Amino acid sequence: MKFAVLQVRDFALQALRRTEPGLAGQPLALIEGEGRKAALTQVSAEAAGVEPGMAAPLAVARCPGVLLRTRSAPAEAEAQAALLAAAFSLSPRVEATAPGVCTADLQGAEKAETRQRAERLVADLAAGGLVATIGLARTPLLAAYAAGSPQAEAERVVLLEDERAFLEPLPLAVAEPNAAHADLLARWGIRTLGALTAIGKADLGRRLGGEGVALWERAAGETGRVLHLAKLPATFAADWNFAEPVETLEPLLFILRRFVDRLGLELRGAGFAAAGLELELTLDDGTSCRRTLTLPEPSGDTERLFRVLHTHLEQVRTEAPVKGLRLTALPVRPLVKQPGLFDTGLKDPHGFAESLARVAALVGPENVGTPEPAATHRPDAFQLRTPEELIPPEGAAPVHPAHGLVLRRFRPAWPVQVELAGSQPRRIFGAGVRGRVAASHGPWRESGDWWRELAWTKETWQVELAEGGLYQLAQDAAGWTVEGMWD
Amino acid sequence: MSGSPSTLHSLRQLVADRFPAAARTRAGGLATGVPGIDRALGGGLPAGLLTELVSAAPSSGGQLIFTRALAAARAERRRVALVDGTDAFDPAALSADSLRHLVWVRCRQLSLALAAAEIFVRDGNFGLVALDLRGASAAEQHRVPAAAWYRLQRAAEQGGAAILVQTTQPTVPAAAHRLILEKSLLLSVQTEMRAEVIAALAPAIARQAPLREALAG
Repeated sequence: MKFAVLQVRDFALQALRRTEPGLAGQPLALIEGEGRKAALTQVSAEAAGVEPGMAAPLAVARCPGVLLRTRSAPAEAEAQAALLAAAFSLSPRVEATAPGVCTADLQGAEKAETRQRAERLVADLAAGGLVATIGLARTPLLAAYAAGSPQAEAERVVLLEDERAFLEPLPLAVAEPNAAHADLLARWGIRTLGALTAIGKADLGRRLGGEGVALWERAAGETGRVLHLAKLPATFAADWNFAEPVETLEPLLFILRRFVDRLGLELRGAGFAAAGLELELTLDDGTSCRRTLTLPEPSGDTERLFRVLHTHLEQVRTEAPVKGLRLTALPVRPLVKQPGLFDTGLKDPHGFAESLARVAALVGPENVGTPEPAATHRPDAFQLRTPEELIPPEGAAPVHPAHGLVLRRFRPAWPVQVELAGSQPRRIFGAGVRGRVAASHGPWRESGDWWRELAWTKETWQVELAEGGLYQLAQDAAGWTVEGMWD
Repeated sequence: MSGSPSTLHSLRQLVADRFPAAARTRAGGLATGVPGIDRALGGGLPAGLLTELVSAAPSSGGQLIFTRALAAARAERRRVALVDGTDAFDPAALSADSLRHLVWVRCRQLSLALAAAEIFVRDGNFGLVALDLRGASAAEQHRVPAAAWYRLQRAAEQGGAAILVQTTQPTVPAAAHRLILEKSLLLSVQTEMRAEVIAALAPAIARQAPLREALAG
């Protein structure tokens, strides 16, 4: 087992179906040619009674619900990129053999492990909308035979060990004889590869010439060839233009899911993880909306990457429908570190980032974070920043120990009327708080930013109402307010 | 048939005195540093359970208790989420270093506050999730369906954080413990050392989790 061939049957049809959400489970056929020459080339299993080569009117007559579509070059390019990325996760030496076919050189790979990886890969590709088969064999040709065999259709992964037994019953058409040879051999009664190779290579060469020898070698699986190696992608990006601008989230998420699956495979194949994702939405009004989403820790996990995008898009509101998008994964080498014994980092950094994003989507990103004081003496001035991943040890205790209760602020402060006795408040009248002042401390005079337009000055009191409750009362140019309750 | 909270508390105290090893908090619980609460709850706010702190009177020390619990979590380097239902928390009450473990959610709708709290409770990265509903009216607090509280309780069991819900009247049917601050403090406390004010706080116990639950290690 030295080579693997990944093959996607009805590739153009599968490629189209995986990029349009409405096509799943529908009878579908691809049509090529124009006018009278138009005929079906690939047909989905759901289109009962419809066969390749059939004319469109006949297909519609036989299966009235059948959807007729033309091939989509962008969809096929995207599917081919996904297949190539899958092949790169098996081996760094990969050839993009044909649309829907990739060949990987597995020299040196361990048989059982490669088979397991191939089975996982088939499952990954199926999750990404591509039903693929994989043949594992001694030569690229045998691997291709294995991938295209009826056995592969049932088992998805075929490891070719007894080549003779495998090749014998295969129809002659598998070795691709030219039309004249096919006709001649049919008249000789030779219909399988086993029957052809029974003739003997030299005998067939004497009768059919050099081309006959080549056919015999193909039938015996002896033809070897050098792979035309493809290069690993230099960037990890995918883009898409919608046929019609979209206004809802579902079509975006559908195509992004495909992109994430493909980019995840590409990153893994190249030994990278994503440090972040860059998403650019092109809008119908000609503008674009770009956002870089940084991950708390590099990751190649497609579920996590997709969740980050999903959570972000739930918050996005655009001025115009989306006509295209581009997703770029920012690659880094996966982080390998041993946490310190006393580190109190996050148990689940991705879960934490996800929770923050979900809460931000609920209340607005400006309302979630770790508070830190702003560089001003203005009361109630602070900013919210992204929470730290690691909680550092405590700093030194404050020099002056705190006194009394802490303030619960009313935002905005409650406007009140105040009756004074001399310079001290005696009674408060307001919608939220009112009553006789039993005791008070103050005033404290504060001011700041006098050199700016936002200059402020005010006097504050701490007051205790006769009915209970300690409040912070303030007076500034706008009047009296209760700024909060001491609690 | 059930005993009064004070009887249960006395019994619990007796067990704690006789069998100190058994009287520890549930694993992952948070000692608040408020002696009146830590004693009553057998070591602090229990992990995976809802504790309701009712500030029945204004200026009765509810915010001070939360601030103290915040400082206790900071000392243990455990993360705290404060879902502030009426945007009343004042960061200036603490130093910037004392807030580095805090995730503050400012919101003004009870439904959003509950939804945000549930997300953090399920997260598993938090030692304490505090939900402050005190600014909401009594009618609003009562409009929260009981099912929402039980869902939060179930989420708490999975997430493992201690949950502190602050209200102005008994509201949370799923609370394992309910503590009530009944007395307004006087202006004179503003000149007292904060540590002394905290030491003097003694909320009444209105509901106590079953003894086996509280003693579970």
